[in-house]
Amino acid sequence: MASPDDLVARAQAGDQKAFRELYRQHAGRVYALCLRLTGSTSDADERTQDVFVRLWDKVKSFRGESAFSSWLHRLAVNVVLNERRTTGRREQRVMIAEDPAALERNRGGSTEGLSIDLERAIGELPDGAREVFVLYDIEGYGHAEIASMVGIAEGTSKAQLFRARKLLREKLER
Amino acid sequence: MNDKEFNDAVGRLPKSIEPPRDLWPDIEARLNRRRRWYWVPLAAAAVLAGVWLVRSQPVSWDVTRLSGRPVVGTTALTASGRLRVGDSLWTDDSSRALIAVGKIGRVEVLPDSRVQLVAARADEHRLALARGTIDAKVDAVPRLFFVDTPAGTAIDLGCAYTLHTDSLGNGVLHVTGGEVEFQTGSRMARVPLGALAQTRAAVGPGSPYVEDAPEPLIRALVAFDFEKGGARATRTALAVARPQDALSLWHLLQRVDPTLRALVYDRLASLVPPPPGVTRAAALALDSRALEGYWTKIYRIHFRRMILKGVKEIDPRTGTTVR
Repeated sequence: MASPDDLVARAQAGDQKAFRELYRQHAGRVYALCLRLTGSTSDADERTQDVFVRLWDKVKSFRGESAFSSWLHRLAVNVVLNERRTTGRREQRVMIAEDPAALERNRGGSTEGLSIDLERAIGELPDGAREVFVLYDIEGYGHAEIASMVGIAEGTSKAQLFRARKLLREKLER
Repeated sequence: MNDKEFNDAVGRLPKSIEPPRDLWPDIEARLNRRRRWYWVPLAAAAVLAGVWLVRSQPVSWDVTRLSGRPVVGTTALTASGRLRVGDSLWTDDSSRALIAVGKIGRVEVLPDSRVQLVAARADEHRLALARGTIDAKVDAVPRLFFVDTPAGTAIDLGCAYTLHTDSLGNGVLHVTGGEVEFQTGSRMARVPLGALAQTRAAVGPGSPYVEDAPEPLIRALVAFDFEKGGARATRTALAVARPQDALSLWHLLQRVDPTLRALVYDRLASLVPPPPGVTRAAALALDSRALEGYWTKIYRIHFRRMILKGVKEIDPRTGTTVR
């Protein structure tokens, strides 16, 4: 099996088979991010495709200064946020209700009921609060980075996170 | 739900969720669709550029006297004139002249030289150097400017170089910018800036070497390329080669007897490791893609070394800055 570095190098040279393998290795993480940021399975489908089409254009600019997965992750965040900024869409979020099987496919264990409730609650958050919550609490970005990516003030990012957590707790305790 | 329970629940959320269906076919279709249309504007631009070049190209080239009394055909050049296809330019031991290569560059003809204009078309700028020395500087896309010599043809890949040919047709190519390909029917050498290649009439180019190559390496390459040095010369070259001589070994790899190829490859790989995707088997089979990939790496490292000479110290094995 080819190493990740090898796959990236081959994809940079235009090898579409290597690029497909990169897709196979990273589709799950990219889809999870798109699903949570958009709150919709159909949007997540589209954005995941957009991310990999964009990746094909940009992969040559990857210089190995960070892990490829981190670089791709940041690219995915930018694609989703840019799309939202461009279209200004604010569709009703029905993520987990639309396709609860999306989560069933990916986990097991005694806590899965709580996780599904949490995913559903995240999907029902207002856009701004959900984006900050996903980027900060799930993806591990800092407030300064989030502020720059989303185009808000750092203080707003903190306030949105506080709001998101409060709303989530209320939903889970109902 | 307290903070800890909430944080634990968030921490258990999966980092990865498989898409409900395989999205690759849609992605692949989008990539292929874009790829097809990608060429349309490029092709149109190329056609327009070609038409513009053909219409704007002069049918002869300007030539200017720099010193002494250069001669065009049978007429002494007093100040400037035109060099037409078929015309020859002669310089004696005290004269020099400057030829404008259409709109893409210039060639300085040094003393004791004879140059003929062979073709002056938009897609082919061609001189023949029968003997003597020229300094060429061309600023154009690759493979527009050619210089024929008794030892083969220098093909410009966007570069500056000095080319010398003696009365027997033997000579040397010294590249000072960009890259030149020197070709005969059976031999090819790629000579990047800061490298030289010896040439011999009816044989072609030798293996290139860098300006500061060790003398024993140069002697071994000459012995191998022009004096039937065979295995002995090969082993000497391998023994004295340094990482910065990788470009010489890359050429040697393709020229040695198949029984010596593994020896050359292993030495080359120990000096400059091959890039990802280039396997030993593919290189030994002289697979063009593998050789091209290896050359790209060697060229990049060499280019960085040359460009940053005196500014930064570059590791000749990797091309990275030495801390």
